[in-house]
Amino acid sequence: MKTVLLAPLDPVHDNAIKLIKRKLTEAGYEAVSMPPGTSPEEVIQKALEIKPSVILVSRTLGYKVAEILSQLVDLADAAGIRDYTRIGVGGMAITKEAGAELGFDGCFVGELKMNELIDFIEDRVTSGEILRSGESVRKKPDITAPYSYKFYDPVIEGYLNQIVEQVLSWVQNKTTKGIERAKIRSEILECENEFIEGNVSSTTRDELLKRYIADCDPEIQAFYQSKQLPTGVRWLEKTEIDRMANLFDTPHAEFVGLQHTNSKPLFFSQYGTGCPIMDIYHIKVAEAWGIDGVFHFDPSWNAQKEGLLQGCLTHEHDGTIITLENLKLIRHYMEPYTLWNVRGHRGLNTPETQILGHAAGADLFKINIPYGSTGGGTDPKRLMVDGIYSLMLAAQFGIPYDIPGNDELSGVPPYKTFAGLLIMMALGLKLGARPIPKPLLCYSPYMTIHGKMDDNMIEMNLAKLAVWRDIVDTPIWPGEPVGFMTHTPDRVQSALQTSLHATLASTMGVDAVTIASSDEAYSKGPISVQARVDTLRAVKDQLRFQGSVKASLTTTAETLKEEIHEKITETLAVVAQRGDLTASIYEGLLGSQEDGLYPGRVGSGTVIE
Amino acid sequence: MTKAIDHIVDAIDIETFLFCKSEDEAKQLAESLCIELGLPHGDIVFLEFKAWGARVRLRSYIHHPGDHYRWMESAGEA
Repeated sequence: MKTVLLAPLDPVHDNAIKLIKRKLTEAGYEAVSMPPGTSPEEVIQKALEIKPSVILVSRTLGYKVAEILSQLVDLADAAGIRDYTRIGVGGMAITKEAGAELGFDGCFVGELKMNELIDFIEDRVTSGEILRSGESVRKKPDITAPYSYKFYDPVIEGYLNQIVEQVLSWVQNKTTKGIERAKIRSEILECENEFIEGNVSSTTRDELLKRYIADCDPEIQAFYQSKQLPTGVRWLEKTEIDRMANLFDTPHAEFVGLQHTNSKPLFFSQYGTGCPIMDIYHIKVAEAWGIDGVFHFDPSWNAQKEGLLQGCLTHEHDGTIITLENLKLIRHYMEPYTLWNVRGHRGLNTPETQILGHAAGADLFKINIPYGSTGGGTDPKRLMVDGIYSLMLAAQFGIPYDIPGNDELSGVPPYKTFAGLLIMMALGLKLGARPIPKPLLCYSPYMTIHGKMDDNMIEMNLAKLAVWRDIVDTPIWPGEPVGFMTHTPDRVQSALQTSLHATLASTMGVDAVTIASSDEAYSKGPISVQARVDTLRAVKDQLRFQGSVKASLTTTAETLKEEIHEKITETLAVVAQRGDLTASIYEGLLGSQEDGLYPGRVGSGTVIE
Repeated sequence: MTKAIDHIVDAIDIETFLFCKSEDEAKQLAESLCIELGLPHGDIVFLEFKAWGARVRLRSYIHHPGDHYRWMESAGEA
């Protein structure tokens, strides 16, 4: 058993010493501590007496710090104890530079990390220092694995079964250009592999591409036929791509997640600066500061044109262009454990996006037909056909899909949004896929208008999470991002609201949380890297503050939960009775014009019967 | 006409993120940035380096307590 001598070279502050003593004792060391106000002479005298393997001294006050610490080192040298003892220093008054200059063997600044202390005692390279690429000890979790998807509410389950049968019957014998392109793209990808192995000719590949181009909009056709790039889009240069390897294909310290005592929730953020290189940098920074997963956001025009581009492309607008090459480039630089979601539920390329996402290594998809076919989104009939095909792809690839409930932001009551999420869950389950509903944790416009959040922002959000536990055994992932409608451009306020909402979700035992940056409410330019770090730091500290404390529902929250549950049931009953989910969306049964929602128009009249 | 910098009550902070390969490099860059921006006596309030870069908060005091505050002079002129 190694002996460690702990000494506070400080008149009053010895809390860290006491804490370290307890943790070292628990770890099997003999930890001997001295009282506050110990002098350097007394430390050396004690060291000569007990011959410790390591001496750890601390100093909190800045007054005379260099003088006292250098005196300790000089005395240790003179006494000859450094032949068998190593000396480390830590505390608020210490900097790494000062520790090294004064001749200490180890210097510990900032947050106490016991693994670093123990590595120092054992005289080994710090386990948290360097990891070779691919050696990460963090594993990529399956969010859906612990859940059975058993419905606890048989009435709701019954309505959902009716709706699912109606939808699957309705989509039979319907297809779209989006689905046909997805099928061709799938063949092209297979063909590429066969071509590399010499099993198919370039003619076959060219024929497939011709068929693909024939189903595209003119602007996409011009790209393939005459190499004409859309306005504002440029190729990434080879030198730019090559330099990425020098920057990020290097060993680095193991990154630690945001979680404190619990392994969940996992934390996600979105990227989509418009440029894959900037995206990669943002992702790497988010990973370094603790993120567990990221979303790919594409530009809105990507969703509004038939057909996708190819190659490594960049532009100076929101959203990063979806191409297989862009996706693969971004994925290449992610940590092995980082979960990656490629969304595709809003556009005319929904099925093909899933094909490309799968080919590039996506871990999650994002599909919500009712939400994606409203507002500025896709025509409901078109997205119903494309969305069901995409759910089949999710099942085929074994990739879980999340279902964002962001239509609530338009003013839709949460119960209608939740009814939509439940329908999407039931459809996916029927087709063999694994859903993850995403109730929105926000300053809900509908609930605000109706005075349900006048007093606080906690009870309504707790009710919106708790209601799921009464309906079905499912993972829950509040999004998207949490704290929507509460953020302002002030970075402190914005980071605070994100962290409050994130930890509120955490107290409810949710599985994942999507967080914003502190630039969430800034609309004049892209999100900055420092804004990402702001919220990651805020959430980490809030989780530390919260620990494993769990929330319980107040009477008001219980009442709100029951109201939401009842109205979800009523909404599903109306949709089931209508007998046609597509018509229900057109007619506003899951969100009406009065609520602030209207059917999407992109791709209207494009379903092929 | 008074300069905008004279209206800074005490300090100006710069919040940014620097691409760098070590904490030492981050500190050097942060100090250089203050000089390049013409900020007198720049100080690093906060710096956290991880792998690909550093989150930093730089500060320069324009008016220290006990100075003759230029923002007060301009108020007097009005």
